[in-house]
Amino acid sequence: MKVSVVSRSGREVVKGGIELKDSAKVADLQEAIHAKTKKYYPARQRLTLPAQPGKSGKPVVLSQKASLSEYCEKGSGSLTVVFKDLGPQVYYSTLFFWEYVGPLIIYPIFYYLPVYKYFGYEGERVIHPVQTYAMYYFCFHYFKRIMETFFVHRFSHATSPVSNVFRNCAYYWTFGAYIAYYCNHPLYTPVSDLQMKIGFGIGVVCQIANFYCHILLRNLRSPTGSGGYQIPRGFLFNIVTCANYTTEIYQWLGFNIATQTVAGYVFLAVAAAIMTNWALGKHSRLRKLFDGKDGQPKYPRRWVILPPFL
Amino acid sequence: MAAAAPGSALRRLYLSAYSWVVFFGWAQVLCYAASALLETGHEAVYAAVERPLQFAQTAAFMEILHSILGFVRSPISTTLPQITGRLYITWGILWSFREAQSHILVTSLIISWSITEIIRYSFFGMKETFGFAPYWLLWLRYSTFLVFYPIGLLSEVGLIFVAIPSMKSSWKCRLMMPNKWNFSFDYRYELALTMTLYVPGFPYLFRYMVAKRKKVLSARKTA
Repeated sequence: MKVSVVSRSGREVVKGGIELKDSAKVADLQEAIHAKTKKYYPARQRLTLPAQPGKSGKPVVLSQKASLSEYCEKGSGSLTVVFKDLGPQVYYSTLFFWEYVGPLIIYPIFYYLPVYKYFGYEGERVIHPVQTYAMYYFCFHYFKRIMETFFVHRFSHATSPVSNVFRNCAYYWTFGAYIAYYCNHPLYTPVSDLQMKIGFGIGVVCQIANFYCHILLRNLRSPTGSGGYQIPRGFLFNIVTCANYTTEIYQWLGFNIATQTVAGYVFLAVAAAIMTNWALGKHSRLRKLFDGKDGQPKYPRRWVILPPFL
Repeated sequence: MAAAAPGSALRRLYLSAYSWVVFFGWAQVLCYAASALLETGHEAVYAAVERPLQFAQTAAFMEILHSILGFVRSPISTTLPQITGRLYITWGILWSFREAQSHILVTSLIISWSITEIIRYSFFGMKETFGFAPYWLLWLRYSTFLVFYPIGLLSEVGLIFVAIPSMKSSWKCRLMMPNKWNFSFDYRYELALTMTLYVPGFPYLFRYMVAKRKKVLSARKTA
């Protein structure tokens, strides 16, 4: 069949179109486009069907594993796809690794090395037990995240734009340094022993719960599938859509209760806002997908992210 | 997001009221500024406009909510930095530091801000109340910024620098460790941070407006 590839402004991206077998899959089309255009490797391509005049709503994105014939107009042997360049891409695992490795290295720098000299604090530094535990806790958290990135998570999209590397690293690394500066400060004031224990206790429990949530989410997706959505079930997911974000937020709350810095709480507030934004999107996506029609199960009533608030 | 459908009567009524009330506030600012300038001189401008300025500019905080709740189409990525910057100058610099208040840059700032806002709010007011805005108002909304954005920016940055000597001596600007909340605040770092935000912030917002201008004015011409 003949496939013509146009840009959103109507210009032909591949002159003369592409000839493919009738049984060809979308992935084959992507390879062919890459071969003809050199710089647009498949991960950079976003292929959609042309918008129908009169119909509104989001354009249909071509799924990589589907057959091209599924998208053809009935009867015709040809297809037009709209191409969008997503820009240079990196693997999600690469992105996450670089985001998380920053705090993992930066925090111990403030703990072990005499950096406070350069801020004007000379002399011996007394390290309180809570500061040591905080360092282990913080570093373990980011180590856990890196391990989950490579061994647990199954991503719906394999790649993310390169620009996100700079943006996300700026976020994690800056906050990492901001928190590390105060938690390891020579003039740090520790909280009571009891408060510290409660804080770290909550944190550890929630990190374990968070890990279990990630395992449950992983099992929703098959290793060969290209993502897709299922209704999450089991454990906290029965009452909260984004239980993984819930446990993450409470885990940071535990850390802050134990360490008590404004910097830590600011980070908690920003992270919670970002995750809430994601959770609202995910919750509404799931509800739209699982609407109880056409054989789809109906998405059950659940909290979005933070019972009893939202 | 669970937003009221654009065009829902309640939303239009609310946004109309909001736009005209704030329009009136800025019109007041410009009038008081002009009369202070003519009667006394640039040193008196701030004292004359302080209350309506604080009212009108602080009311703009609502626009962040409008954007988040989906009442208006403006993206949060431009609304938030814009409003934050304005509130920082209004309260963090002008209200906080007497030395900045009598500077001539206050005049250029107030003129830039008030003319821009008068045009902007009357434009929104027209659209929400009457459903359309005349082409000349649309043109003003998307053209005057070319002049007033740079003037406003230079005034803002200039006033920040004018306020620096006052920052040094103010208790508001230095909070040191140790304290129960393990927090410190030093105006020098805050200043450095503010400047690093202004540097990319201004081209980002300016480019957004230029692109929007092209889109809107050409669409209107062909409509």
